[in-house]
Amino acid sequence: MTLVILGMRSLLRNPYRSLLTSLGILIGVLSVVVLTGIAFGAKSLVLRSIQNLGPNLLIVIPGSVTDSGAQVGGGTETTLTADDARAIRRQCPDIWNASGALRTAAQVQSPHANWSTVILGAEPSYLPVRDWRLARGGFFGEEDERGMTRVAVLGRIVATRLFGLENPLGKFVQINHSPFRVIGILSSKGQSPMGMNQDDMVVVPLSTLQSQIMGVSYVGVILAAATSPDRIDAAKREIREILRLRHHIPAGGRSDFEIQAMSDISRTANRISLILTVLLALIASISLIVGGVGILNIMLVSVRERTREIGIRMAIGARPRDILVQFLSEAAALSFFGALSGGVGGILFLDGLHLFVGWPIPVPWEGLLLTMAGATLLGILFGLYPAWSASRLDPMEALRYE
Amino acid sequence: MSDRDGPGLSVRLDAVTKIYSVSGEELPALRGISLSILAGESVAIVGSSGSGKSTLLHLMGLLDRPSSGAVFYDNRRVDALSPSERAILRNRSVGFVFQNFQLIPRTTALENVELPLLYRRIPARERRERARDLLASVGMGDRERHTSSQLSGGQQQRVAIARAIAASPGLLLADEPTGNLDSRSAATILDLLLSLQSRYSTTLVLVTHDMEVARHARTIFRVRDGLPEDPR
Repeated sequence: MTLVILGMRSLLRNPYRSLLTSLGILIGVLSVVVLTGIAFGAKSLVLRSIQNLGPNLLIVIPGSVTDSGAQVGGGTETTLTADDARAIRRQCPDIWNASGALRTAAQVQSPHANWSTVILGAEPSYLPVRDWRLARGGFFGEEDERGMTRVAVLGRIVATRLFGLENPLGKFVQINHSPFRVIGILSSKGQSPMGMNQDDMVVVPLSTLQSQIMGVSYVGVILAAATSPDRIDAAKREIREILRLRHHIPAGGRSDFEIQAMSDISRTANRISLILTVLLALIASISLIVGGVGILNIMLVSVRERTREIGIRMAIGARPRDILVQFLSEAAALSFFGALSGGVGGILFLDGLHLFVGWPIPVPWEGLLLTMAGATLLGILFGLYPAWSASRLDPMEALRYE
Repeated sequence: MSDRDGPGLSVRLDAVTKIYSVSGEELPALRGISLSILAGESVAIVGSSGSGKSTLLHLMGLLDRPSSGAVFYDNRRVDALSPSERAILRNRSVGFVFQNFQLIPRTTALENVELPLLYRRIPARERRERARDLLASVGMGDRERHTSSQLSGGQQQRVAIARAIAASPGLLLADEPTGNLDSRSAATILDLLLSLQSRYSTTLVLVTHDMEVARHARTIFRVRDGLPEDPR
């Protein structure tokens, strides 16, 4: 213990050098902590937005998939219809509700402003399927759908852009020069996993969009909600069977649609972020090793510089082991100090990032402690050789060293 | 608190030689010296520079090992011990005083004196107390916090002597202890060494080229070209 204190004392005698040496380890630990923290944050961000979309959600998109699983032109074909959506809604026991949806871009005008946004055509079941609520007003119903009524439900952003602080309910907006009556305002939902802002959108009845704006009869996607998370796979199977039957696809033939479950997507996102985390940690570890080499370097210089001191200590009766412990505790103290301040710095950095960017960045505590312990161990490991060579000095030669 | 407050250690060298090899060339420093020093005796080893007298002292102090021959402490052979065992023996039985003082730089006088006690695992408080007493006994009680660069040569040597006797060694080895000092300091240091030797009845071996210094020792041993000049 006394020898350990001895090691600390000699570090304090050379404070600038000690500081610079630990800086290497500090930067190493800092980068490991910050990079893994950011990877963690990115992951939870993606998972949260997937969760936001509805965890039980299944998305049916038209188009086929190659054998390797890569999607080729998915979503551009026109094989799905509102009747398919209805069939899924009515015939799949594990589907709780479903809605066809179609989108286009259009200019929307109010008496005071105009705004270019996305027009989404959806069925009345769209809101429950998406687990979405209205901020004000109501949504359109079956009669509107059947009657192709010109009613619109505005997203948060569109409502503000077109009407400012005014209440848009009951007012009219022009879409493609046709007047639509505003009947509701959606609650805020934020970004979709694909990076689209879901609040910048106008929802109209699907039939209205198909016949009065786009002049088509297909739907872009069918969104379906499974009855519970553990029925997702069953629901997927049922949708596949019904659609293949409805599209007259022979057994063994390739489906002209693809079903994606949000749970699959979140699994993929999880895997990608794990790879990302490991990769970033690996890169950061390189700087940690560089820091360790810094300790090796300084300790070698220190041993050489203090050869005569080592000789004096040996003459006075320091055993080789005493010298070893002294220098090893110097290396350990340097790396521990570096690791500690790197860890603290990392936490502060992540907190700062959270404060300014608003990313959810959880401090990876286990990883943090592991990194700090690893960095300290690394420093000791790199200090081992210089300390060992110090302990092996010949006392006589060391005393004569100039 | 010490293992040996009694009479000093007897040292015997048995036909020791020391050959240094410098870039492939063999340079004999000692060509065969036998020497017996009784416990509590004071011996001056005298010779010109290069005679091998310092090497002899280093062999006696277990800082170096003879190329052939043997070293005995109280009739126990000690030169063949492991580096660790020799370190322990140096710590307990030998005190060194060097010509150039060899205080640890940027370290206070007190800490220097504490060192042998530290390596002997003596608890901090006791160590500190004892080091204080020792510094006071060599007249350096008011310089505890000074580092070597803040002390004069004579003062540094006094600290070094306090350090040498800190662990109450049976054998005190001084290598030209007055070589770097002016005549007044030299006289004080010599007096100090001799008075300590008689107070603790340690064995004192003094290496010098100065007959004035050597005269103070009970016995004088002359070395020349690695051989005894007048074998006893």
